[in-house]
Amino acid sequence: MSRSYDRALTVFSPDGHLFQVEYALEAVRKGTCAVGVRGKDVVVLGVEKKSVLQLQDPRTVRKVVMLDDHICLAFAGLTADGRILIDKARMECQSHRLTVEDPVTVEYITRHIAGIQQKYTQSGGVRPFGISTLIVGFDPHDTRPRLYQTEPSGIYSAWKANAIGRSSKTVREFLEKNHKDDMSRDDTIKLTVKSLLEVVQTGAKNIEISVMESYGKITSLDLSQIEAIVAEIEREKEAEAERKRSRLAATAAGQAAMFAAGESSAQ
Amino acid sequence: MSIMQYNGGSVIAMVGKDCVAIASDLRLGSQAMGISSHFEKIFPMTDRVYVGLPGLATDVTTLHHQFRYRLNMYTIKEEREIEPETFAHLVSSTLYEKRFGPYFIEPVIAGLQKTASGDFKPYIAATDLIGCLNFAKDFVVAGTASDKLFGVAEGLWEPDLEPEDLFETIAQTLLNAVDRDAYSGWGAVVYVLTKDKVIKRELKGRMD
Amino acid sequence: MDVSFAITGKGYVIVAADTTAARSIVKMKTDEDKIKVLSPHLLMAYSGEPGDTVQFAEFVERNIRLYHIRNPHGLRPQSAASWIRRTLADSLRSRRPYSVNLLLGGYDTSEHAPHLYWMDYLGTMVEVPFAAHGYGAYFALGLLDRYHDPEGSLEDGLATLRRCIDEVAKRLVVAPGQYKVKVVDKDGVREIAL
Repeated sequence: MSRSYDRALTVFSPDGHLFQVEYALEAVRKGTCAVGVRGKDVVVLGVEKKSVLQLQDPRTVRKVVMLDDHICLAFAGLTADGRILIDKARMECQSHRLTVEDPVTVEYITRHIAGIQQKYTQSGGVRPFGISTLIVGFDPHDTRPRLYQTEPSGIYSAWKANAIGRSSKTVREFLEKNHKDDMSRDDTIKLTVKSLLEVVQTGAKNIEISVMESYGKITSLDLSQIEAIVAEIEREKEAEAERKRSRLAATAAGQAAMFAAGESSAQ
Repeated sequence: MSIMQYNGGSVIAMVGKDCVAIASDLRLGSQAMGISSHFEKIFPMTDRVYVGLPGLATDVTTLHHQFRYRLNMYTIKEEREIEPETFAHLVSSTLYEKRFGPYFIEPVIAGLQKTASGDFKPYIAATDLIGCLNFAKDFVVAGTASDKLFGVAEGLWEPDLEPEDLFETIAQTLLNAVDRDAYSGWGAVVYVLTKDKVIKRELKGRMD
Repeated sequence: MDVSFAITGKGYVIVAADTTAARSIVKMKTDEDKIKVLSPHLLMAYSGEPGDTVQFAEFVERNIRLYHIRNPHGLRPQSAASWIRRTLADSLRSRRPYSVNLLLGGYDTSEHAPHLYWMDYLGTMVEVPFAAHGYGAYFALGLLDRYHDPEGSLEDGLATLRRCIDEVAKRLVVAPGQYKVKVVDKDGVREIAL
């Protein structure tokens, strides 16, 4: 019996599934939503912020973190697991600088993180990380923005725009419909906020936006800035609805007129 | 030259009437070269227990931190402050843990021990660098000037000194002993512990 | 053969180190920077066994940076010094210790005061108003005892530093040719041409 005690928790089911990994993905789906969007020379991370309790200090709850001067990470899933993975990634960033005197590339650190996540699906006595991550940044001596995703299974992939966490499917479909290549800074931020508003009903106060414009240049928008963008989006939606209503009214009037004309000609 | 003499420094502790005193010089050297005249070697562990750590300066700091850590753990677990005698054994066992690769320190402990009747009894002790305890009724010395300190203390100390007299005795003993030692001196510090207060005095000494 | 000095004054620390990299009797390089900038308000001059010095300095640099990323605030000079000392003290009793001597100068932005620590490869650490390592110490410490002013202006500090460097040039057989001088104060770190 003691043989089964220290065996890996993640073992194949008869039909080839790793249930523990699938349960981890379920934990990700329950986590708050995070969105990453790549523009022409900017990359934006947006996350849905759980509203903090009245007496809680909101600064201590962070979902977008720095890994190094030029790389940011957002995650969805179990926050506690996230902390551990982030810490390992930060160590690797400094360790890489120490050994080869160069900062890591975004792909390198993504591969490292995915590697750790994979290891936790195959080692004994551990369970997989219950998080997916979005990793954004710029490679050293390069101007192209990067966006990567990792999953509990250890899969990693590059994206133009993507979402993880709660209702990520809705957001991804929205992004698929609305994403354009070579978006400007403002358009990229707007698309990020817009896509998040698809699933965040409570508006600006539950959205956090981080913008990376070039190597090492990261800004996170404050509440008033996000509120302004949300207001702008609302206005556009309102105008759109107004146009639709008037068009509808026009067609209705047209139809009514046609109907009236038909009646009179029948007489 | 021995590693015990590398940084220099000396400590002495004396018993008085219902009081104890502990004193040290303030020099930190690198062999014959003086680096600092503000290197303290005596540390308060509680209000009634003080420890002096003459020897290799890196171990002065390391052991101070180590004792502080172990003492904090003791205080939290026992929910009371440590007594001098218990602390002396804590020092002893900490040093003996490194029996075959020791810290190059010869600690001196001075404190006031609580008695069954509720008053305080003077307590002093010293250990060698591997933690062999030595209790004394009169005075203990350690450091590069220990031989000189023995001589002067032998001549000046007498039983049942009142706090102010004890201060004068220990101060004169230390200052005169370190003047005959090239590796100790550069100012001194004296603590006198009584049942209701601790007096700390910094002394000027010869700066040569 | 390395020579390094450090002097505190009113709101600043000056750290100076020679720029020679030598092997045996041969100069290999005369523009080596032996002062690492550990954080916006922290400088570290290192000397000792070649190889160990750079390895150790970079190790410290990366760990200070890692702390800064992990925590909302960076380490203050006192805490950074304490960590470095502990690292050296642990290393001393390891299989192969680092032989590195350090001068750590920093400006504490929360108490608005400069701090200077003298540290050797044993893990000995003490806070001092001025300090020196290497052969230069034998000539400079006496001068500094006489001329150092803890409340002196930056100009005063640099003048005192110049005295030390001149004395070493005059009396030391193997005096180094050039020095790099860095200053840390409330505005951060900057290099100064002497």
